Amino acid sequence: MANIQSHSPAAKVGKVITYSVLLVFSCFAVVPLLWLFMNSFKTTQEFMIDKLSLPGQTEGYSATLVNYIDAWTRGKFPTLIMNSVIYTAGTVIMVEVLAIMAGFGFAKLRCKATKVLHGSFVIGILLTIQCIMVPLFLLVNAIGLYNSRLGVLIPYIGISLPMAVYLATEYIKSIPDALVESARIDGASYFGILARIIAPMAKPVAVTVAILTVSSIWNEFMLINILTSDDALKSLPVGINQFAGALTTDYGKQFASLVIGLIPMLAFYLVFRKEITKGVAAGAVKG
Amino acid sequence: MKKGKHTLTIALALLLCLVPAMLFAGGSSEATAAADDGKINLTVLNYRDTSATNSANEDEVVWDYFLEQNPDISLTIENIFGEPFLAKTEAYLASGNLPDVIYMWSGGKSASVHQNHAVKDLMPFLEKDGLVDDYNPAALVPQYGGYLAELPEGITASHMIFVNKTVLEDCGLEIPETLDDLLAMVPVLKEKGYGVFAMDNMTTWVMQSTLVSTIVGRLGGADWYDRLVAGEIDFTDDWFVDSLELVELLYDEGVINRNSLQSTYGTSRGPFALNQYAFLVDGDWACSSLMMDNTTGQALLSRERQENDIELIVFPEIPGEVVHDTTSGTIGTGYAISADIEEGSAKEEAAWRLVKYLQGEHVQEYRLVTGQAFPTNLNVDVDKVIEENNLEPLVSKRAEFYNTYSYTPVIDDVLSSEVANVIDIGLQELGLGSKTPVEVAQDVQDTWEKWLDKQ
Amino acid sequence: MKGGVTKRREHYVTYWVLVLPAFLIYILVMAFPTIYSVVLSLSDYRGGNLFTSDINFVGFDSYKEVIDDQYFYVALKNNLLLVFISVFGQIPLGFIFAYLLSRDMVKHKDFFQTMIYLPSVISTVVIGLLWKSFFSPNGAFVQLIRVFNPSYEAALSSYPFGQVLFVTLWMYVGNYLIIFMANLQKIDSSIIEAAKIDGASEMQVLWHIILPALSGVIVTASILAISGSLKAFDLIYVMTGGGPANRTTVLSIFMYDKAFKGAPNYPVANAISTIMVVISFTLIGITKFIESRVGGRE
Repeated sequence: MANIQSHSPAAKVGKVITYSVLLVFSCFAVVPLLWLFMNSFKTTQEFMIDKLSLPGQTEGYSATLVNYIDAWTRGKFPTLIMNSVIYTAGTVIMVEVLAIMAGFGFAKLRCKATKVLHGSFVIGILLTIQCIMVPLFLLVNAIGLYNSRLGVLIPYIGISLPMAVYLATEYIKSIPDALVESARIDGASYFGILARIIAPMAKPVAVTVAILTVSSIWNEFMLINILTSDDALKSLPVGINQFAGALTTDYGKQFASLVIGLIPMLAFYLVFRKEITKGVAAGAVKG
Repeated sequence: MKKGKHTLTIALALLLCLVPAMLFAGGSSEATAAADDGKINLTVLNYRDTSATNSANEDEVVWDYFLEQNPDISLTIENIFGEPFLAKTEAYLASGNLPDVIYMWSGGKSASVHQNHAVKDLMPFLEKDGLVDDYNPAALVPQYGGYLAELPEGITASHMIFVNKTVLEDCGLEIPETLDDLLAMVPVLKEKGYGVFAMDNMTTWVMQSTLVSTIVGRLGGADWYDRLVAGEIDFTDDWFVDSLELVELLYDEGVINRNSLQSTYGTSRGPFALNQYAFLVDGDWACSSLMMDNTTGQALLSRERQENDIELIVFPEIPGEVVHDTTSGTIGTGYAISADIEEGSAKEEAAWRLVKYLQGEHVQEYRLVTGQAFPTNLNVDVDKVIEENNLEPLVSKRAEFYNTYSYTPVIDDVLSSEVANVIDIGLQELGLGSKTPVEVAQDVQDTWEKWLDKQ
Repeated sequence: MKGGVTKRREHYVTYWVLVLPAFLIYILVMAFPTIYSVVLSLSDYRGGNLFTSDINFVGFDSYKEVIDDQYFYVALKNNLLLVFISVFGQIPLGFIFAYLLSRDMVKHKDFFQTMIYLPSVISTVVIGLLWKSFFSPNGAFVQLIRVFNPSYEAALSSYPFGQVLFVTLWMYVGNYLIIFMANLQKIDSSIIEAAKIDGASEMQVLWHIILPALSGVIVTASILAISGSLKAFDLIYVMTGGGPANRTTVLSIFMYDKAFKGAPNYPVANAISTIMVVISFTLIGITKFIESRVGGRE
């Protein structure tokens, strides 16, 4: 392939610069994780005294698991993690299906309504949660879904759709019309085309949408509190943030909770890293 | 081509599984809410700050105990904390469905609850039960909406200076009595490499709440707010401008380090405990984070150090001050009863029983022992509780602090947040040196007048 | 002829079947809240029961209050800086990384892709807390400098927003990396190979084949960058809270401070939010206009 083959000094310098920049970025990505992990073994008291040394380095303190034990017993994490998985998976699946359907419609089926409908999704990308919080609460109450999983999922899907529909539409637009037209001439229905041609080709954008949706829903903290009241329906960020008060922060436990919250995400990301890369690459395979 | 069909089939199958699952999940939670066995069910909006030191066993000690004592009542408690708590309260208010018993603040933070009279006046309840004399009179004063909306769990001193005597002794210094004493200490402390005031001024409210409210009270008198409302004084008058000039002086003289403007609240408690500063300027709530944390068995300040090295004082005497030995104080948070509950109903009686219990001896003792709040209920014998539970020295020093000093208002407690925010930011501008005291005072006055017009 | 009619009908039926589900959910969740938001920005609602309290229409008072505030302009300027650094920093970097990785110009492609995207997986809270303690007056930054200059005392930074820009630049590059990776795969590699055989240099391939093919994606990425930068809240809120003296504030924090700190002021909050949408729209319009002028058609 197109490796930098020439051995001119300029190419060498270029290579050094490229690798250095990539390595610096990689370090920046790892350092916060290490820092977090390290501090989760310090008590809040030790952290307040020294935020940078290894746990137990400060005189009179030693590394401890107490944060994890305490956060886990008080945090109700099993329920919260399960809820987070339900909300995140449910949202991602629905958003993928709906966004690719709508994206196909907007991109490949001509209709006068597209301008208005698609435009309204673009507005959705720009709205801030703080302003729609109260009306959303009223709405979910009015349709009787307050304090239920469905009452959380529908708003989550709704707020994730604008970005997903926008990305899917733009991506599908760039698939050549000729592919659709020739399939039509061969007598295929639009749904057949969607299933057999568009959906497989849209894999890269589906992966992009999935990644973006997962990270936003997994960390969502405001709406979940507004839309539910039962502890049994809340999600992971509620458990993580509970140790950060307005006047005092219990850093040790907060860091332990953050690690607990990060592990599923990191595991998911690292395990499916290959699949994600492949998913992105799959779109290139002709067929 | 086959592969594509496969993907879609999987997606559709998942979709089909998911919809009933979601519906089921939705249904099941409603079922639990409907459970009813002849008991009076109260919905409670509770603020649960898990970060508060030693709050781990609140469920058993506070709520379960109440249910045991009151078998005819059942509780549906919604625990929530931080910023979402306020947002949720607003959402409930907007929908007109406030829970039966809610946690709230006495001041601006819960302004919309107060102003809309969304909760009942508790004074008649106290009077009916003859409980008025059981409480510290300072705790029963009218709140933001002009009435007793919540029964407060404590009185909070928002200004408390922790003195590190080890540092002072190392420099051969005494606790400062006057502003001049304080200023004279600065070069001596700096010489030895110590900081003077440990403060974290990047967080906007800190300077205003933990220091300036006290200064303004000293120079403007305990009734500055009443006279301001009556139109007798303005923010552009001496009392306020002089206060701002004092802040400027503290920055200029190095009492407060300018780089504290890049430090967020709570950061400097550690360095203070490490003897890097002579004084920690904070609120009384900082005590609990310096004391023993039961979950870790560690304390920033050991019992011996609390006893021997630490003194609790207020800002020294300022030339021209009209009141002496004051701190700034505010009525603490507490629980209130929704105004939607029918008057004289059994539910109202149950709600009152709960609110009364939450500020009764049992719960207030618990909060004293855990260091969360200082009792308003006079039946709690503070000395006895301290002795029986062998509480840390800082607790009795704190009790002594409350007995020694009197209160003036906290700025962001009495003023609307619109005006208080301008003061907060103006104080930071002073620190940055980008505005003069007169300019800041003028900004505040303009905002105050605009706010008055809107009322 | 008959075939044409049924085909057309199929076309429309299909269109609505495809588009309506997404649109209905979206409208259900967003339309009412949005209309509510705009209407409230023109009223004097001060919290309390929405159905029974006395709410008056006061026109553009709240907008005037926002525009009269000196810190609105500080926030706006900071937001525009964020937009600038996203569009001209994150996007080019994301593109360069995606290009280097997808053209197999560096080894350990998987590793670097994982690492660059990693910050987006870590919660903003962690990143904010880390950088905050790194830059704080008692933090690592000062300790590092003291290694070289022991007498160094942390002075007040003259440009605190620089730290925020730096962290933002780094944190979100990964998002653009994956968007560009996805789209780079779409370019038919046989065209590139053919061009190479014809003697085109790497730069020529980039300039004449890849960039034109990606112009639409660059616009998409810019739109995401613009809207994302204007909505930026979490990271800055954790890192600086907008302080000191609002020097690092942005519109969303300005809104939060002005409208949600203490008693909520919904008219002002919604006015700011409406202004944010208008600014986004303007910037997106400009982007689209530039695309139509200089962008290549695929």
